[in-house]
Amino acid sequence: MFLARHEMLYEKLRYSLMIAVISLISFLIFIISALALGLANENTEALSSWPTKQVLLSKDANGNMGQSLLSTEALKAYPHQNQQAQVGITPTTLKGQSKNISVQYIGLKSNEYIYQDLKLSSGHKPKHRNEIVVSDKLTQYQLGSKVKLGVSSQTYTIVGKARHAQYNMAPVVYGNLSNWAPIKGVTPNYGGSGIIVKDSSGLKPKHADEKVLSRQAFLNKMPGYAAQNKTFILMIVFLVFISLIVITIFLYILTKEKLNNFAVLRAQGVPNRYLLQNTLGETFIMLLLSVGLASLLAVVSAMLMPKQIPLYFDWQLGLAVGLGILSTGLLGSLIPMRMITKVDPVSAIGG
Amino acid sequence: MNSLLLKDINKTFGQGSATVTALNHINFKAKAGELTLIIGPSGSGKSTLLTILGGLQTPTQGQVFLQGQSLTELTNKQREKLRLEQIGFVLQAYNLVPYLRVRDQFALVDQLTQHHLAPAAFQQITNKLGISDLLNQFPNELSGGQTQRVALARALYPDPAIILADESTAALDSQRVLVVGQLLQDLAHSENKAIVAVTHDERLKQFADHIYELIDGHLTPVY
Repeated sequence: MFLARHEMLYEKLRYSLMIAVISLISFLIFIISALALGLANENTEALSSWPTKQVLLSKDANGNMGQSLLSTEALKAYPHQNQQAQVGITPTTLKGQSKNISVQYIGLKSNEYIYQDLKLSSGHKPKHRNEIVVSDKLTQYQLGSKVKLGVSSQTYTIVGKARHAQYNMAPVVYGNLSNWAPIKGVTPNYGGSGIIVKDSSGLKPKHADEKVLSRQAFLNKMPGYAAQNKTFILMIVFLVFISLIVITIFLYILTKEKLNNFAVLRAQGVPNRYLLQNTLGETFIMLLLSVGLASLLAVVSAMLMPKQIPLYFDWQLGLAVGLGILSTGLLGSLIPMRMITKVDPVSAIGG
Repeated sequence: MNSLLLKDINKTFGQGSATVTALNHINFKAKAGELTLIIGPSGSGKSTLLTILGGLQTPTQGQVFLQGQSLTELTNKQREKLRLEQIGFVLQAYNLVPYLRVRDQFALVDQLTQHHLAPAAFQQITNKLGISDLLNQFPNELSGGQTQRVALARALYPDPAIILADESTAALDSQRVLVVGQLLQDLAHSENKAIVAVTHDERLKQFADHIYELIDGHLTPVY
């Protein structure tokens, strides 16, 4: 990469500008990926924190646990097992000293795995019916705060705060399963929303109006989840395609300007392979610097971004995105490389 | 032995009624230690002849020998290697890579081949050509004359058998033409190289050991 290195050092401003443009596009891809992952997490964080392989809920809920109603009798058909947990999930309003907040109430049984495996950042798990644990994102409430939930007249005390407690774009409130019906405003005939299954033991529905979904199928049914993800994937694909076009244009212009020099070098016996290696090397260095700079910008952004903005940086996703940008960029060097192979050294003779 | 020998060379382009004969029964030789001039007007076939001399093109008919080796039987890759190691080009323009300092123009040759002048011999050449204090300059910082001298040194660096100079005095004033002519003669004699200069500049005649005239594809020895 002798020629590439010297050229880039000679034309520092030109290459810096190109690297800046590619970095900004890459940075945008990183941010959108982080936003996509962050928003996906807002939907699924709680579910991901409970090991989940399958979900049982009512058939007519259309895959939405918040709309699922299972009777107390129906739930009795599923005896307690270590790998299963009955839940009652409902969207509701948390009312306290601050303004009302939309939350997702998740009722649990204390002898089941979700309750037992709850990860708290402070306080303790609910021991009584009037105790609740809230998402640690509800920073306006502290341990000991008294609140009301939904249409229930019960006053609840916050005794703990949980990590990774987001469900369907709302902070989660964990409490006793028996609170779910009054909070939701349904009769005590209904015992919960469904059953979460930890392993792949293959839970079968015992009633005709029930359905079992795999974890992924359940996620895809979450309101807005699939559409949101598809939108972000489309945006990322477009941006990667745009970066490919930008890189190709840059390299095309750079190569076109050098064709006369390449013709002389070929006349002097410099092999095509050497010139191609340098062009590929130049592209690789530019892309590596661009992706590196974009990563740095992303890290700084993550540090400065307010916590309310759902950005989630995952190093594996970042690596995949970086490699994607590198690969498509190297693909963009194919056109300039073809131009180089077509250089006729005879054209160097005669001026 | 002739460094460069052309035997009954014909070069045609196109086919049938559109055939153009660029070179017609060309016989030519250049020896080591001599400056040979090929003079002709524009359109006489000078560029075509130069590309055949340099192994960039093969003739339609005839044979080309470099140091006794036939170029016409070689593959493109073999002729490319030969150009890198055995033939030095000094062209009208774009001789030097614009983003390499003068010393790096030679370092580029080091990247590509082991075949080059020993450091002492190289220093002698740079001193003779007066470019020793230009080694840290970029080509755009050099004058026209300096650029030509660096290009000559670059052509000599791989220690080639022959140097081919294409209109090496184009865009130079009269005084500089004489300087370049003298330089080519001195280098041919002192470095024992076969230097072939293709030009339309009659002012170089006084420096040549042999002169050929090229008119409408026909080559005639004059001297």
